[in-house]
Amino acid sequence: MIQMITDITRHGDLIWNLVARDLKIRYRGSVLGLLWTILNPLFMAVIYIVFLRLLVGRGIPNEDIIIGVFAWQFTAQCVNAGLNCVTGNSSLVKKVFFPRIILPLSVNISGLVNFLLTLIVQWALVAILLMMKGAFLEATTLWVPLFCLYHLLFNFSLALLAAAANVYFRDTQHIVGLLMSAWFFMSPVMYPLSLVETVARAHPWIGPWIERVYLLNPMTVIITGYRAMQMPGDSFPWTAASIAGLLMPLAILWIAYVIFQRAQRYFSDFL
Amino acid sequence: MNAIEAKGLGKWYRKQGVGLPTLVGALPRWLSGGKADGFWALRNIDFSIRQGQTVGVIGPNGSGKSSLLGLIAQTMAPTEGAVRTTGRISALLELGAGFHSDLSGRENIYLSAAILGIPREDIRRRFDHIVDFAELREFIDMPVKHYSSGMYVRLAFAVAVEMNPDILLIDEVLAVGDMSFQMKCLDRIRQFQQKGKTILFVSHALETVEEFCSDVLLIHEGRLIMQGNPSDVIFAYLKQYMVRIGMLNVEEHGTREVEMRSIRLLDATGAETATFYTGGAMTIEIGYHARRRIEKPVFGFNIKTGNGFYVFGSNTQIAKVPIAAIEGDGRVRLRIEPLTLKQGRFFLSLAVHSWDHATQYHRQEDLHPFLIKDAGDDKGLFQLNCVWEHQPNP
Repeated sequence: MIQMITDITRHGDLIWNLVARDLKIRYRGSVLGLLWTILNPLFMAVIYIVFLRLLVGRGIPNEDIIIGVFAWQFTAQCVNAGLNCVTGNSSLVKKVFFPRIILPLSVNISGLVNFLLTLIVQWALVAILLMMKGAFLEATTLWVPLFCLYHLLFNFSLALLAAAANVYFRDTQHIVGLLMSAWFFMSPVMYPLSLVETVARAHPWIGPWIERVYLLNPMTVIITGYRAMQMPGDSFPWTAASIAGLLMPLAILWIAYVIFQRAQRYFSDFL
Repeated sequence: MNAIEAKGLGKWYRKQGVGLPTLVGALPRWLSGGKADGFWALRNIDFSIRQGQTVGVIGPNGSGKSSLLGLIAQTMAPTEGAVRTTGRISALLELGAGFHSDLSGRENIYLSAAILGIPREDIRRRFDHIVDFAELREFIDMPVKHYSSGMYVRLAFAVAVEMNPDILLIDEVLAVGDMSFQMKCLDRIRQFQQKGKTILFVSHALETVEEFCSDVLLIHEGRLIMQGNPSDVIFAYLKQYMVRIGMLNVEEHGTREVEMRSIRLLDATGAETATFYTGGAMTIEIGYHARRRIEKPVFGFNIKTGNGFYVFGSNTQIAKVPIAAIEGDGRVRLRIEPLTLKQGRFFLSLAVHSWDHATQYHRQEDLHPFLIKDAGDDKGLFQLNCVWEHQPNP
């Protein structure tokens, strides 16, 4: 871990340049790049809102869906960029030595920049929707950017795993696609955590266990965290399970780091 | 002090099937418990390179030269053994590594500098110099996808030469680019040498290797065959490997009633060599063995360039040096002096046949490579003896 931090600080210049490359290419000379970054989660949110309205009626607050979808998109984007960050730079990896961890790290940092840009839109939307109900964003919203860094840590560890696996097995991207769509439904993206609590209460035998396991999913606590910070009246469920869920990304990061460092020794053999 | 030290270095590669590695593809192998088959790209490599040395690495294609550089540059991990290096390494393995076609020349300068590990301040300070060196002042803000390949390479090289490592690894980079570009590259290498940097240099340009290197490693089929002074190693390489791997249309045939058993190329002092100098002497010594008595045999030779151009050919019949008869062992000497061939690689063919050309006893086609070096500035394949005259008022 210390090795990772020294590697990163010693190559700050390279990381900065790679992030700048990603962002420049995305936003080069056109508003379109920025537009697509924002439109993507926006469209998704609109689609879910409309369909959920049709399917389950007025049960789920639109703001919850918007916050959930934007946060989910951040993770999805980082994982996808992570998948290709080593295989897509094969000539670089084969020809030039630098700590390989810089590749997933730099795509995650660009992902963070993109997310912070969409976050402005997300705030505006949620604020407007709340205002129509006569409510306001919570003051704790100001903590959201800091919470993004924690979220980034989780995304980064997933990107490390995805990047390493995709070098050894190119069908990883398809497998990841499947896992991501399953995971999407297993995380409270388009429904609030309270829905799971309601379901759990209806089944007193196994319900509490399901709820605990559910909270171990880092995506659950991350999305719930975002909602608790921004939505008036929402609070984070501080339980042993949710704290374990919050610590989970750190454990995953450590494991992912160890796996990545082992795998990266032989990257150039498989590229 | 040793800058690079390799001990028992080996690199094993898995033989991959068609296409990219996949999980689905790997499953049957796991289930059957079979081991993947592979091959050793390098094995049992031991050598050390002192600080400040310039060392060439030669060998036929696919012999493991690039793998060796990759292991030293740490872009690959060895399967066995280890390589130890002292000091900061930069590898000039590919020009334009990390260039992005959508970015402008200016942006790519900073990006590729970061990838090559050149400090940003150095680049900022030397920016104008880099742009001038690449001769791209007016195009520097244009995306590099619109550059010609020459412009692209010039820019990449202009950045790469700003590297200031203790150990420089160069892989065949000099093969690209035009004459003046190559001269610039070589100048830069000389500067590195003067600063006492260690250079490891993979190249097929044997003349360049011989000129720059104090030591040469010969690698073939993953083994270190020979390490030593450039002319010896290059000679061994040309003699044994270029011919064997079929780079040339090499042929040896004949009835073998007379057999050419030993061929030696000798310089003016009588020492065996493969490098000769324009204006110097070259002696070809053929040791033959005739199985029976042959009346009036004819010994012949010809010289071709590397790309098959027939330069000169003659024989004892044309030269009117008849040989009455041969039997048993003997020796034929051909002396060429002064040597009027100029710079380049040439191939010698030798033959012995009957007086009426009806029987080829033994013919060796392009079997003997040699190198000509020229100190003069004039250009061409031949040295013509020319005399200039000037008359101001006719």
